[in-house]
Amino acid sequence: MTLIRTVGLTKRFAKITALDALDLELEPGIIGLVGANGAGKSTLIKLLLGLLEPTSGSGEVMGFDVFRQGPELRQFVGYMPEHDCLPADVSATEFVAHMAQVSGLPRAAARERTAETLRHVGLFEERYREMRGYSTGMKQRVKLAQALVHDPRLILLDEPTNGLDPEGRDEMLRLIRRIGSEFGIAMILSSHLLGEIERVCDHLVEIEDGRLVRSVPMTVLTAPTSVLTVEVDGDGDRLADRLREQGVTVSRSGRFLLVQKEDDALLDLVRDSVVDLGLGLVRLEQGRRRLEELFQSQPSLEEEEDLRG
Amino acid sequence: MADTTAGTIYDVGYQRYEGVRLGRRHAIWALYVHSLRGVFGIGRSLSSKVGPMGLAVIALVPAIFQLGVAGVTPTELSVIRPEEYYNLIEVVLAVFCAVVAPELVGRDQRTRTLSLYFSRALRRQDYAVAKFAALMTGMLAITVIPQAMMFVGNGLANDFGDYLQDEWTDLPSILGSAILLSGLIAGIGLVIAAQMPRRAYATVGILAAFVLTSIIAGSVFEAADQNVGRFALLLSPFHVVQGLTLWFFDVAPGSGTQLAEARFSGVVYAIDAALVTLLMLALLFRRYERISP
Repeated sequence: MTLIRTVGLTKRFAKITALDALDLELEPGIIGLVGANGAGKSTLIKLLLGLLEPTSGSGEVMGFDVFRQGPELRQFVGYMPEHDCLPADVSATEFVAHMAQVSGLPRAAARERTAETLRHVGLFEERYREMRGYSTGMKQRVKLAQALVHDPRLILLDEPTNGLDPEGRDEMLRLIRRIGSEFGIAMILSSHLLGEIERVCDHLVEIEDGRLVRSVPMTVLTAPTSVLTVEVDGDGDRLADRLREQGVTVSRSGRFLLVQKEDDALLDLVRDSVVDLGLGLVRLEQGRRRLEELFQSQPSLEEEEDLRG
Repeated sequence: MADTTAGTIYDVGYQRYEGVRLGRRHAIWALYVHSLRGVFGIGRSLSSKVGPMGLAVIALVPAIFQLGVAGVTPTELSVIRPEEYYNLIEVVLAVFCAVVAPELVGRDQRTRTLSLYFSRALRRQDYAVAKFAALMTGMLAITVIPQAMMFVGNGLANDFGDYLQDEWTDLPSILGSAILLSGLIAGIGLVIAAQMPRRAYATVGILAAFVLTSIIAGSVFEAADQNVGRFALLLSPFHVVQGLTLWFFDVAPGSGTQLAEARFSGVVYAIDAALVTLLMLALLFRRYERISP
């Protein structure tokens, strides 16, 4: 089943074109949406929810026409906005149960699932208290719970780690990863932090100035590179010399040797050389590309933002 | 037997929901019920109950007074007539609306909960309809209940059977007038509150819409040529409420009052109220169509 299909999806505001003829086709999974602030991430999410009307083009989510079948579709969609969205003077339990009902769940089921969902996101005794006293972390959990309570097929998360401290970030990402992989719910997660996307997502969509830059599986982006990292216990230079004699390209990076790998025979060569020289092999590791490196080859997102002012 | 499944009873993991999904109508109903509870502060802190509940009680005072009179006097004596009731409590009705409407819609805008509603199983107009219905129900409660109390009380003070036979025509009048005026007041209040998310502004704005227009329309009517000036009264909710109530109870306005001098047929006020209510609903739809949550 196709999760999302957009054709020529365009959104113009008074002065700017936030989304420019976006054609996108995505399968279910954990999809990371990256781009600078103002690239069109939030606009895309809001269009997919039917919160915004497109200037032109069409969008389909799980077979529903986003703009004609909004209420039907949204029974199966959860949304965690970037901004605050919680009333202060109700308890998390009451609020989440109400939200479940507005998603179409009967009252009893809404109550039952609220208790369960709040437990899943890690909110316990405090869930009966008014939300005005909640910490940022607790509020983020409630926001996630209200997006999850009606057991949606798709959850849209707009910058879910915003405002959290490093520990809170970690926990939120673990939770998100778990919802995606263990609970089997498709997700679109927007973030301007590539590290987060890399940790959680299995597909990446990059937009810039409202246009699609790429939409690729994460495995392609972080594919193994042809560089071996070797660390030995002893004199690494001797190993480097030995390998160079065999016509292998070697460079040094601190304690590590970076060895250009042409084929798997090199692995044997390294092992044998290490043994010959009487060194101890500490690490022999295939390098992986990181998302950050990928984006560094182009002007980085932050730089572009600066240019744009 | 060592039960290996015992541990898993407590951590059942994530459960899919296989039950029914009731869709848009249920979502609207849920929002309506939640909002109606909010009108009276039910499920909220004590401080959010004080205002609406207190005003609801004040709206009962004339009825309680009449019941006291009916209780001590043997004859059928109506100190407070049903057709005059709303006239007596019109300020209470306006204040109730001014206190409740900003909470009902402004809060969702201030806290940006609106974006959560709009991303659920309803349409933007549905949100407006549910909120309008909730406030209208609240207004109905504080208008119909005192009237019903008076009716029953007056009846019990006499022979209830006879009273019912003589006065039953009051019942549709009570209901009809209450429905029209509740819709009118709720509509005006919500349009203003949806436009002004800040509670204090909205409250003042709503009070002004009722009290100031009444004063201004009255003055214009006195000052201008009455054949033209009388149309100003149709813009004042208080005058319209009075006019339509008298029409429902088939009572002529007291001589010398502005309504008597305006010489409108009573039905004009009823139609005016219905039209203004529809206009307010249209404005409310437009507001929520355009708002970016």
